[in-house]
Amino acid sequence: MTAPLTLDSANTTRSAPVEAPANADGVHTPLGTEPALFELRQATLTLAGRPILEKIDFVVRRKEFVSVVGSSGCGKTSLLRLMAGLARQTAGEVLYDGKPITRSHQDVAIVFQDYGKALLPWRTVTGNVALALEAMRVPKSEYRDRIGCVLELVGLAQHADKYPGQLSGGMQQRLQIARALAQEPKAILMDEPFGALDAMTRQSLQDEILTIVARTGATVFFVTHDLEEAIYLGDRVIVLRPNPGRIVRTFDVNLSRPRDQLRSREDGEFTRLRHELHTLFKELH
Amino acid sequence: MINPGQHTLARLRGFIVPLALLSLAEIVYAMNDVHSEIIAPPHEVLRALSTIAMDGTLWNATMQTLAGAMAGLSIGFGLGLLLGAFLGISSFLDRLLFVSIEIVRALPSIAFIPIAMLIFGFGYRMELSIVAFATFWPTLLLTRSAVSSIEPRLLEVSRALGFGIRASIWKIVLPAALPRVFVALRLAASVALIVAVTVEVTANPLGLGYGLMSAQQSLQPATMLALLCWLAAVGWTLNSALLWTEKRLFGRMTSTDFTR
Amino acid sequence: MKAVRSLWIVPSIAVAVAFVLLWKYAVDARMVSPVFLPSPERTWAALQHGFAAGALQLKFLHTLERMFYGWICASIFGIAIGALIGSSSTIRSYLQPSLELLRPLPASAVIPIAIAFFGLSDGMVLATICFGALWPMLLATIHGFSSVEPRLYELSEALGMKRTAVVFKIVLPSALPDILAGMRLGMTVSLILTVVGEMLASRDGLGQWILLAGRSFRSPDLFAGLVLLAALGLSSSLLLIGLERWLLRWRTVH
Repeated sequence: MTAPLTLDSANTTRSAPVEAPANADGVHTPLGTEPALFELRQATLTLAGRPILEKIDFVVRRKEFVSVVGSSGCGKTSLLRLMAGLARQTAGEVLYDGKPITRSHQDVAIVFQDYGKALLPWRTVTGNVALALEAMRVPKSEYRDRIGCVLELVGLAQHADKYPGQLSGGMQQRLQIARALAQEPKAILMDEPFGALDAMTRQSLQDEILTIVARTGATVFFVTHDLEEAIYLGDRVIVLRPNPGRIVRTFDVNLSRPRDQLRSREDGEFTRLRHELHTLFKELH
Repeated sequence: MINPGQHTLARLRGFIVPLALLSLAEIVYAMNDVHSEIIAPPHEVLRALSTIAMDGTLWNATMQTLAGAMAGLSIGFGLGLLLGAFLGISSFLDRLLFVSIEIVRALPSIAFIPIAMLIFGFGYRMELSIVAFATFWPTLLLTRSAVSSIEPRLLEVSRALGFGIRASIWKIVLPAALPRVFVALRLAASVALIVAVTVEVTANPLGLGYGLMSAQQSLQPATMLALLCWLAAVGWTLNSALLWTEKRLFGRMTSTDFTR
Repeated sequence: MKAVRSLWIVPSIAVAVAFVLLWKYAVDARMVSPVFLPSPERTWAALQHGFAAGALQLKFLHTLERMFYGWICASIFGIAIGALIGSSSTIRSYLQPSLELLRPLPASAVIPIAIAFFGLSDGMVLATICFGALWPMLLATIHGFSSVEPRLYELSEALGMKRTAVVFKIVLPSALPDILAGMRLGMTVSLILTVVGEMLASRDGLGQWILLAGRSFRSPDLFAGLVLLAALGLSSSLLLIGLERWLLRWRTVH
């Protein structure tokens, strides 16, 4: 997993060398010591003469869960698309694993917001997960086990033969997550994945994604417009402001893991962060 | 994203292919210098078009075709509208007539040419009866689905207000279904023109279709191609005029569709 | 729900039978001249006679064959060209206006040209069918190929799928509903043009049969031909609807 990184000398964000090896059972390791997986340096994006993102600088470390919040039109989805290799920055650098992103990487999975559009309606649940395996050129003999494994993980094992049209919104989003997991990704980029779901489904999926991340050790970049969701899930919360999109501030979230919908949300740190973020957003508008 | 300049450029692109093909035809013809009884170069087609336009045969033929098509359309569309509305309102009637409709609808309209010839002989009546039959079915089906997809709440309103069936058709059903009924009219109109020409090509000594056939038989390829181009222009104009009216009347209420 | 709906077929067939009885009654009561409208029994007799003589089934098969080959030919060209045009917006911007101009042109209007090139032959009939039935499939395929959900292209990019895999796994399946609808429309057009072609070129088939029967006032034979044509149209469209239901079963499940 931890291939030797060839970071050029300009990269000084990493103060300490790699020391603690990845902990397989997801026990908390100090994240500040992990090497950077994504790195943006002065990344700027202009679309049809309109500035969308301006001079974005940040680092996502391995195994880190970074949330990004901002009002609509602040370019948070564009930011995710840059990191996914679906869009190219007009200036600055976007690095993945120390190298500039020129195309999409198969070990970076994307979970889109509009699950209804991002699933193949003519394939069953199994078939949709298989699409990822086909793209990764996984031998056919491994399909059964790997599909069964990810469906079990997201709780869709009972619905393997259904078509997306037969699933509820929450289940369709679970299917998208399952397809992302089938890629065995180093990083998962999530674009407001729970934005269209009802509150109950949303909470249970939040907890599921945390469990899955803890188990697989994936890095997550999570775009949302929900402040509390950003705090609840993230190790760090990046706040963007619009016209053009810039980073206002970054908050570290010092909440213990595993998190709990009741306990974590009642934690003093949580309420303090929520207060700060709310105040910040009021100032922005 | 697309600025107006790009848009005009994209429009101009559409002319490149036809112009290139026409020039190519002209060049090939000039190089080989043959007289063909099958095909003619664009400039001769243009000349033939102006000839038949000058001597009035073009207008006569166009009027004959349009008269047959429109008369048939008004009958077929009117009847189709009526029965379609009834079937759309009453799912009971719709289900009862389902099999009969599917069987008769499966008949290719052109197969009625021999019967129409038996009954009416050659002429307008034969042509318009076949056009009426052919336009009846698309009108019926589209009106039926337009009416049956009306918000059921509206029909409940009409029932709550105590409207009879005729009043509810006039006051609720038709206005609500109108945009989609107009789509039916547009499609039926293009069917009418197609069928009218087909009848003329096949049997009826009238109109543009017959003109095409007789030009072919008398080995006048230029006239034949001129009529073909003219027919395309007539079809396009009819369709565009109806599309334009549809957009003017209903704006965003109707969806665009690609079906004939 | 489904069972209830399919139960309706019984009274619906009964109504169709009632219409036939009405037809018989109208003829028996001399409300319509039997020259134009033969009774159902005489139509049935004409059918039996035609089949016993062996002529009618041969004509039926000829018509079926022409319609099928023309349709297949149109399907191959229509879908292939449509896929080419539909998958590139550049090609579309060059060709779409010409296609829009040609679209309202009645397919039968090219019959004289086909006659000029092929004479009154089977080739002319086939060319006409192929040309006429090509349009609905071409336009539907272009529409299907150009209206693939853009999110799916992003997904294929994110998964690093190869170009051929994108075409076969994403573009083709999502264009399939449009293509099948176009093929169904094309089948109707094929049957019409087959009949027209047979009438015009005097090719052995049902079209010629009904034309000759009409000319010599043999209305029972004419109606026998109509019955067979309706059967042909109905069964081919039912077959295609069945195929469509099976291929698109993911759409109907709930």
